[in-house]
Amino acid sequence: MEASSEPRLDAKSEVTNQLVDFQWKLGMAVSSDTCRSLKYPYVAVMLKVADHSGQVKTKCFEMTIPQFQPQLLATSSLLSASNFYRQFKEIAAVIETV
Amino acid sequence: MAAGEVESGKNLSGLLNALAQDTFHGYPGITEELLRSQLYPEVPPEEFRSFLAKMRGILKSIASADMDFNQLEAFLTAQTKKQGGVTSDQAAVISKFWKSHKTKIRESLMNQSRWNSGLRGLSWRVDGKSQSRHSAQIHTPVAIIELELGKYGQESEFLCLEFDEVKVNQILKTLSEVEESINTLISQPN
Repeated sequence: MEASSEPRLDAKSEVTNQLVDFQWKLGMAVSSDTCRSLKYPYVAVMLKVADHSGQVKTKCFEMTIPQFQPQLLATSSLLSASNFYRQFKEIAAVIETV
Repeated sequence: MAAGEVESGKNLSGLLNALAQDTFHGYPGITEELLRSQLYPEVPPEEFRSFLAKMRGILKSIASADMDFNQLEAFLTAQTKKQGGVTSDQAAVISKFWKSHKTKIRESLMNQSRWNSGLRGLSWRVDGKSQSRHSAQIHTPVAIIELELGKYGQESEFLCLEFDEVKVNQILKTLSEVEESINTLISQPN
């Protein structure tokens, strides 16, 4: 997914949620049954979100380091640069000017 | 004729490609008979089966150990020396294949081992909210962020979140802590 220079959003879901809590951990996948030498760090995120009715749900997901911030790893390819951190910085910069 | 004798480098390259698609990238419909008829039509099925198994085993070993080029050289040299191993021409084709496909195969292995949702995409928009003249607040910018999440082999789920400026900055602070943590990790010797 590329970060375009202009923010764009055609929301697939019309329902927006409020973020109640953001927890994270940095993990290292070492080995698995299909790959003895995985050796990759990842960021695991747990979000608590509340919908309009106030109901709270938990959503968990993982990002690789390149997905979080490509420049951190010298060996990063840009195959999946959702670029989580950089996009939040862009959002902060834009919201400040509005 | 033995499979090892008929094939040219191109056939083996094609075979390895198909094996990778089947074993790592989850591409459906790649059967033994399809491969034999397309790439090694002169080879009898029984013989092709064991040839295919051997190549699949080699590819899996290389991928599982995430071999660097030294390890790869050593491994393939050993394969050329043993009974029922590979020829040095075949070893060269395998080596070339791994060098050009390693990153993509590794990425598939990473995706396969992730049982949580992965982040597939992120879109966002900033709205300047304006309230009515009855409200004191007339300017509350809000960021709307859509996360595309999905488990391996499953369809995406979309999560839409709303943040005001305060919240955005809170998240940003948290993310800088994540970055600090990552930097600590990668600066440590392995």
